[in-house]
Amino acid sequence: VGRGAWIRQTALGLALLAAGCGWGRGDQAQVRFWNGFTGPDGRTMLRIVREFNQQNQDTRVLMQRMDWATYYNKLFVAGIGGRAPDVFIVHAGNLERFIRAGFIEPLDDLAVPENGFDPADMVPAVWQSVARDGAHHGIPLDVHMLGMYYNKRLFREAGIVDEAGEPVPPVDRASFLDAARRLTADTDNNGRTDQWGYVFTWFRTNVYAIMNQWGGRFISDDGTRCLLAESPNPEALQFCADLIRKEQVAPTPESFDSWTGFRQGKVGMVFEGIYMLSDLRKQEDLEWGAAPVPVLGERPAVWADSHVLCMRAGLDPARRDAAWRFIVFLSDNMLDWAEGGQVPVRLSQLESERFAGMPAQTAFATQLPHIVYVPRVPFIFEFLTEYDAAVERALRGSLEPGEALRDAAGRVDRAIARFRDAEARAGDRP
Amino acid sequence: MNLRRAARRWSGYLFVLPYLTLFAAFLVAPLAYGLALSFFDWEMISPAPPRFVGTANYAEALRSEYFWKALSATFRFVVMAVPLTVGLALLGALGVHAAPHRRQTVYRAAFFLPTLVSVSVAGILWRWFYCSQFGLFNAWLGRVGIEIPWITDPAWAMKSIVLMTLWWTVGGPMVVLLAGLHQVPRQYYEAASIDGAGRFMQFLHVTLPHLRPVLLFVTVMNIIGGFQVFGQTFMITRGGPEFSTRVLVQYIYETAFTHYRMGYGAAMSWLLFAVIAVFSAVQFRLMRERP
Repeated sequence: VGRGAWIRQTALGLALLAAGCGWGRGDQAQVRFWNGFTGPDGRTMLRIVREFNQQNQDTRVLMQRMDWATYYNKLFVAGIGGRAPDVFIVHAGNLERFIRAGFIEPLDDLAVPENGFDPADMVPAVWQSVARDGAHHGIPLDVHMLGMYYNKRLFREAGIVDEAGEPVPPVDRASFLDAARRLTADTDNNGRTDQWGYVFTWFRTNVYAIMNQWGGRFISDDGTRCLLAESPNPEALQFCADLIRKEQVAPTPESFDSWTGFRQGKVGMVFEGIYMLSDLRKQEDLEWGAAPVPVLGERPAVWADSHVLCMRAGLDPARRDAAWRFIVFLSDNMLDWAEGGQVPVRLSQLESERFAGMPAQTAFATQLPHIVYVPRVPFIFEFLTEYDAAVERALRGSLEPGEALRDAAGRVDRAIARFRDAEARAGDRP
Repeated sequence: MNLRRAARRWSGYLFVLPYLTLFAAFLVAPLAYGLALSFFDWEMISPAPPRFVGTANYAEALRSEYFWKALSATFRFVVMAVPLTVGLALLGALGVHAAPHRRQTVYRAAFFLPTLVSVSVAGILWRWFYCSQFGLFNAWLGRVGIEIPWITDPAWAMKSIVLMTLWWTVGGPMVVLLAGLHQVPRQYYEAASIDGAGRFMQFLHVTLPHLRPVLLFVTVMNIIGGFQVFGQTFMITRGGPEFSTRVLVQYIYETAFTHYRMGYGAAMSWLLFAVIAVFSAVQFRLMRERP
């Protein structure tokens, strides 16, 4: 059954062996760099790494890529066994877990202007996402937030245009619902809707943004209780479910291939991450636009996450220095990275002329004041498993939103209790 | 004399020593380690050391809704996939066996070919086939006005996994059964036909009894493999929708390597082992009995 996995593991093993044996000259400092960039982003990253290696003959960075799905499992096990790579990517949303495990080095002594990096140049909310108790546990490379992609041709056909005939993306709940209703249609008159105003692509990010717009909270401030089932979360989730069943401007999840549907021109609007840009650019017959996510609740909010460059704790000074120079080099070159569908997080890069020449990215970047990360808790995977399950059940209509969320909150509470118990035993907390 | 006796006594062990070493190091030791682990509470994410908790992990599994849901998903897979696989493999083997000898190799290869595809490739391929709107199957079915929510509806998802599994795995048991068919001595068929037995009676009274050990082997291996199903569901549905295809092995994998609850994962593995052991034992008993 697991032949594919065997081949992959063997390949990984060989790669690690090669990395361990050290190809390169004896006096070179080696930096092992792991990430999950297996798509087009991986090619960009590899190019930047090669450039670094060329400019820094005394250092050699060896980059290792693997699927995000298996990446974290491998990284965690490697870290626990004391064999973590020297530099590695962790999503800001997962950072807490890795900090607790104790193999991430705080970088505050290095992150100063004399070392080529000025924390004052960082977007404050993003810099804050790596801070714990005043220490910063990595350098965020980018921020990838949700935005709205819309189909310009469908907007024109539905008459959602300004005086000049240009499509007008909605900005609030009323204009969103109005647009969604007008875009939903049975184009071949066979009695079945085949063009939709909106579709939930990734349930997690879409609903998380909407719940935050309603003002929802997820975990109590002291980290002891899950607030998923508390108002206004059920109301926000009800609004989402209503788009499918009451308003009928979004298809039921079982009947529609959501993202493909948008690419094929069957959907007016989707909320998706900026990282989908490269995928859309391949769809030449689609005339699309990018805009901020409309405010469906009380206030603007969009889901976001960041790729954070982390350094392994306990590196010897020479390697630590080499790893730091590499991290700064990557951070300095993030405009190349942004081209592929990311928003840079250094103010100087955001204000640069080159970034102004990336229209979709700049549209997404206007949402920077409203980004929300997932809750900063060590039991994030347990939380997300239950959150995803509750949202799926509500959107499919197999449970009432309130009931689905109560069910999930109960399970998350049990996971929290387990964590607190383990931490108490470890003597971390009184 | 003494030396010779000693040599005779120990030489057997010497011969198995190389294998025994590997067997002990890579199978027995991890198994024992896993068994011990299942009695400990070990949250790998926390710095707390493992703590002995007795049978608490087993008790938690038996109380857990997710465990039973995963076990029942596994059962649904086994109940559908095993009879269909063995039945189709038998049909295929009979068909190929009846074909002229020269063409048998071609047919056999055709049946066996999908088995050579890795589960990742097969999984991705079938995920495309199963797409609701733009998939191959619904494109065909759409012409007659049918649209099936292959992997997006909890009621359909496991059936779709079984269908893909049939395509992917039926070749293996078929080749084994075909070899079994070749072993049946011709004179029995001749004797049966002289006694006036038709094709069906010949199959019932000559072929089946001779195939019995092979059928037993194929069925037991399929049941064991069925309970360990993971790759297909993981590649095609990731256990969704609504956990309807999250089988036990996937749940164990997630528990141990996403949530890092090593002890709990180990306990569930041993429960799965117990289920498989019971089924295999029953199977052997049933098939051994003479009619």
